[in-house]
Amino acid sequence: MVTAATLMETRSPAPNLRPTMPAAATGQPAGTAAPAAEVLIDIDHLDFFYGASQALYDVSLRLDTRKVTAFIGPSGCGKSTLLRCLNRMNDLIDGTRVAKGSIKIRGVDINRPDVDVIELRKRVGMVFQKSNPFPKSIYENITYGLRLQGATTKARLDEVVEKSLRGAALWEEVKDRLHTSGLGLSGGQQQRLCIARAIAVEPEIILMDEPCSALDPLATAKVEELIHELKTKFTIIIVTHNMQQAARCSDKTAFFYIGRLIEYADTQQIFMNPSNPQTEAYVSGRFG
Amino acid sequence: MEPSRAAEPAEFLTGRRKFHLFGLTIDECIKVFFGGNAVVSVVVLALITIFLFKEGFGFFGLNQQSLRVYRQAGLEYVDIIRAQQDDHTALTRYLSDLRLRQFNYFTQQQHLAPAEANQRLAGFDEFADRFGGAVGPIRGLVSDLTETVTAIKDKFTNTENRKEERRQLLAEGRTADAAKVEITAVDFAAELKPLLATRPAYVEANAEFARQLSAVIASAPAMPIPDLQARMDRFKQLTGEYLAGFPAVEQKLKTWDYTRPVPWYQTVTSFILGRDWVTASFWQDWYGVIPLFIGSLMVSVVALFFAVPLGVGAAIYINQIATPLEQKLIKPAIEFISAFPSVVLGFFGVAVLGQALRALSQQPSLAWVPGFPFSERLNILTAGCLLALLAVPTIFTLAEDALNNVPRSFKEASFALGANRLQTIVKIIMPASLSGIISAVLLGLGRVIGETMVVLLCAGNRIAIPDFTAGLAVITQPVHTMTGIIAQEMGEVVRGSIHYRALFVVGLVLFFLSLLINYVAQRIVRRYRISIG
Amino acid sequence: MAALVNPHIFQTRPSAARRWERACFGLFGAATYLVLFCGAAVFLTIVAKGSRTIFKAEAPFINTTFFTDAPESLYVFEWQGKKLEMGDREHRAFIEQHPDAAKVKTESYIYAAGGIFPCIVGTVLLVVGSMTIALVLGVCAAVYLNEYARDGAFIRFVRLAILNLAGVPSIVFGLFGFGMFVIFFGWNVSLLSGWFTLAFMVLPVIITASEESLKAVPKGFREGSLALGATKWQTIRKNVLPYALPGILTSSILGIARVAGETAPIMFTAAYVVRDKLPWQVEKFSDFFFQGVMALPYHIYVVSSKIPQNEYTERVQYGTALVFLLIVAVIATASILLRNNLRNRYKW
Repeated sequence: MVTAATLMETRSPAPNLRPTMPAAATGQPAGTAAPAAEVLIDIDHLDFFYGASQALYDVSLRLDTRKVTAFIGPSGCGKSTLLRCLNRMNDLIDGTRVAKGSIKIRGVDINRPDVDVIELRKRVGMVFQKSNPFPKSIYENITYGLRLQGATTKARLDEVVEKSLRGAALWEEVKDRLHTSGLGLSGGQQQRLCIARAIAVEPEIILMDEPCSALDPLATAKVEELIHELKTKFTIIIVTHNMQQAARCSDKTAFFYIGRLIEYADTQQIFMNPSNPQTEAYVSGRFG
Repeated sequence: MEPSRAAEPAEFLTGRRKFHLFGLTIDECIKVFFGGNAVVSVVVLALITIFLFKEGFGFFGLNQQSLRVYRQAGLEYVDIIRAQQDDHTALTRYLSDLRLRQFNYFTQQQHLAPAEANQRLAGFDEFADRFGGAVGPIRGLVSDLTETVTAIKDKFTNTENRKEERRQLLAEGRTADAAKVEITAVDFAAELKPLLATRPAYVEANAEFARQLSAVIASAPAMPIPDLQARMDRFKQLTGEYLAGFPAVEQKLKTWDYTRPVPWYQTVTSFILGRDWVTASFWQDWYGVIPLFIGSLMVSVVALFFAVPLGVGAAIYINQIATPLEQKLIKPAIEFISAFPSVVLGFFGVAVLGQALRALSQQPSLAWVPGFPFSERLNILTAGCLLALLAVPTIFTLAEDALNNVPRSFKEASFALGANRLQTIVKIIMPASLSGIISAVLLGLGRVIGETMVVLLCAGNRIAIPDFTAGLAVITQPVHTMTGIIAQEMGEVVRGSIHYRALFVVGLVLFFLSLLINYVAQRIVRRYRISIG
Repeated sequence: MAALVNPHIFQTRPSAARRWERACFGLFGAATYLVLFCGAAVFLTIVAKGSRTIFKAEAPFINTTFFTDAPESLYVFEWQGKKLEMGDREHRAFIEQHPDAAKVKTESYIYAAGGIFPCIVGTVLLVVGSMTIALVLGVCAAVYLNEYARDGAFIRFVRLAILNLAGVPSIVFGLFGFGMFVIFFGWNVSLLSGWFTLAFMVLPVIITASEESLKAVPKGFREGSLALGATKWQTIRKNVLPYALPGILTSSILGIARVAGETAPIMFTAAYVVRDKLPWQVEKFSDFFFQGVMALPYHIYVVSSKIPQNEYTERVQYGTALVFLLIVAVIATASILLRNNLRNRYKW
């Protein structure tokens, strides 16, 4: 499969992480083709509850590899909930449960009891609404995930730090102060640091929960630019309130309303020619 | 096509092999470890309650038994007569007081020499002697009866000891030895016969006593001035009332019945409402918590009387008025005071403050202060002052927090309307933080009432209900407290005895009192949080 | 003077409100300084009188025997026109030399000579042991309650109970320790009983404070770490505990001050009025845990309540009080400074 190969190729090998990875896969040329998108995430008739209140109703959605998908919709429509379902961050909240349906990533139902949620989260990274760099140095922030997995050699860590920071378009700005606190950066830089931190562990999928909501327009533009670059390597799902942002940087868009998926299509279509009147009302700014 | 992902379908299934211990992963082991610690902590903290109850509850059974023996052995009977005698003693004290007043009048107003004054009082002295002597027969009777009933009680105690001895021997399996232990059941009816046989003698003695008193009263000498005469009249009136009570006493003795059962609730009420804490007495031990409770309460009230204005005042000053430099210096300084170990403060009270306060009270210029001058160095006031110093940091810190929690916007809004700082503090900030301040005061109370060393060292340790007729001067009397009594007596009691258990019950009272104070304080704070939003 | 001629509309004028304000502020200020004055009076009295015991005029300026000797009785008598004061051992030696001295009228004051070494040792042992127990149990329990436990009615009840237990008087804990460790477990008056009694006394404080510190660590740290594929334990160890540690540390130092300063709980669980042997002079190792010790706070209680106040006993009384006060004060000051320092450093 091309996607898997290219994915691996763009990164340095981490044999201890992926022992089962066939050696043949690494030999493929990078980004040679953009074949017909392959289904990576398959959400099937999902019902989700916070305690007694239902947050998602019968959501079915298929997301493609190496595309940017935007989830849009008014507050409380369930888009963030769905996002947090994808790496099971909802486990941290008491009383949440998937009542019906399934989420399959590469054909594996991630809610199966024998799923190792830690492994899942290594594959599915996340960037939060409020940038949350740890109160450690920039360097330590980025190597945090790798060190958890046992990577300790300095050379390897240095390499990953530079690569991730370059990947997050932050290298030039911070290369001289890698060992100063991540909290000393500006808001936009902090958010990009969080993105760098997420890509350092080489996930396949990056979830972004309103990554720009706390940033000024300039910083937002930088992050959007970054998303554009990242999509050559990662599958990105972004939750946003900002419809221009969705239009600018996503390939596909899903519109949610009160816990239901209303419409899911190519971004162009959603914004130019939505098939559902509710979608149209929302994207044209008549409510929400 | 590259090798399919399907070849490694479930990396995030149980992809890695994991280390297992007793069927748990490492993470689960860690969770169990933490959980185990939490369980231990919670269990131990629960054990506190259980142990207090375990040791304390036995008290009520033992106390009921003690009360039963008090009745069956006739101690109660004798105490009825003794009460009559004690009342008479109180009347004689009144007379001595009257004599002192006359003496003072003669020496100070009339400027007589002491000898001459005494001569003038010869008539009064004769009167007083006759009054005092009248009780003679009754006193003799009480003293005889005391011996009788003490003997009965001793006999009973002996029997109980024997029974215990036999029980132990049986428990050890030494049946033969156990059979040798002689047990003679005490036949209370028979034993009490001589006691009850004295009834006619008592009635006779009482009649004689009443007759003599009436005769003496009739011959009461006249007083030199109206003021003293009024006192004499009052004395006559009191004696009249005393005499009028005689038939009731006789009636009580007549109807007294050793077989009347001691109701179960009396063991509780005799503790909660008992006005005497008498231990290791040859006569009868009483375990009444009232004197101790009042002692604790009085000390706490005095402490809070000083600590609340000071603590809250200081909190307002630091939070609202002080310069930043003052804030920076004074806050840690007051917190530092809270680190004074209580035993050091107690020592300070014994070594310095007690004497200093007494010296101060003996200043003539301060004689107007109620209770001044006093001679007891260690008393409620001394302990209260030191406890105030302990409570101030608690109250200060919590009250300051409460003031800090008032949203800035309240204050700004008030200033914007042209209020000055005092008005803002009084009308906006204080009301908004009132519940926080009240809970601070409550927690200060909790701290004070539970404090042991200061009261043990400085409260005077006299087990008696302070004399409230003295008005405010009551604060210069010594008291004993609930915490103090535990600390003082716990080391000396026989384990498992009624006294030992009584101390645990006092501990229980303290325990629930502090829980109640804490709980109420928290409730108040929580309500306040909601009201702010 | 010219300024007075032309008052503008915002001119400050004396008014009743202003006078009131000044008077009230004066009162509040007076309250504050009165508190400080009282605290200072107590502190300085003890420092002034106590330093006469623990310092001396000639080198090495510190009365080392006071710190290294055990308490002894003091004997005061007149000998050949001079007033002599001697500790117990010295006095006995003196009598051997001058047998006549035994006949001289001698006043003796118990505990008034020698030093307080065994008390210091005992206090240190008590504090170290009980804080170890309390910290292990308390911090772990707090981690469980805050990180692992699901928030249910039971956990809320447990929290409430712990919070309330923090206000229970220390004497009640002493009573509990006496009933449970000394009698029920049969440990008698021993180090072990004292350790557990003191540990359980500070346990609620430590659990509550540790939980507060853990709660103060932002949720984002945990989520961020988990989203990177860390396990729960890795998250706690690397990304929660390090940031909660300063707060936990502060509270535990305050706990130390409390443990060191309390007398009531050890009165009948661990403290001896007097004990000749030092704690490590035991026959077998296990005896170490089952021996009572002398402790500073209890010694102060004993010397201030059981012996008369006079110029001879005053020295040991104030000296002991000062040493004890200084120890506790240093611990408390350290925690206050540490907390203020950390408050400025850790801001999220």
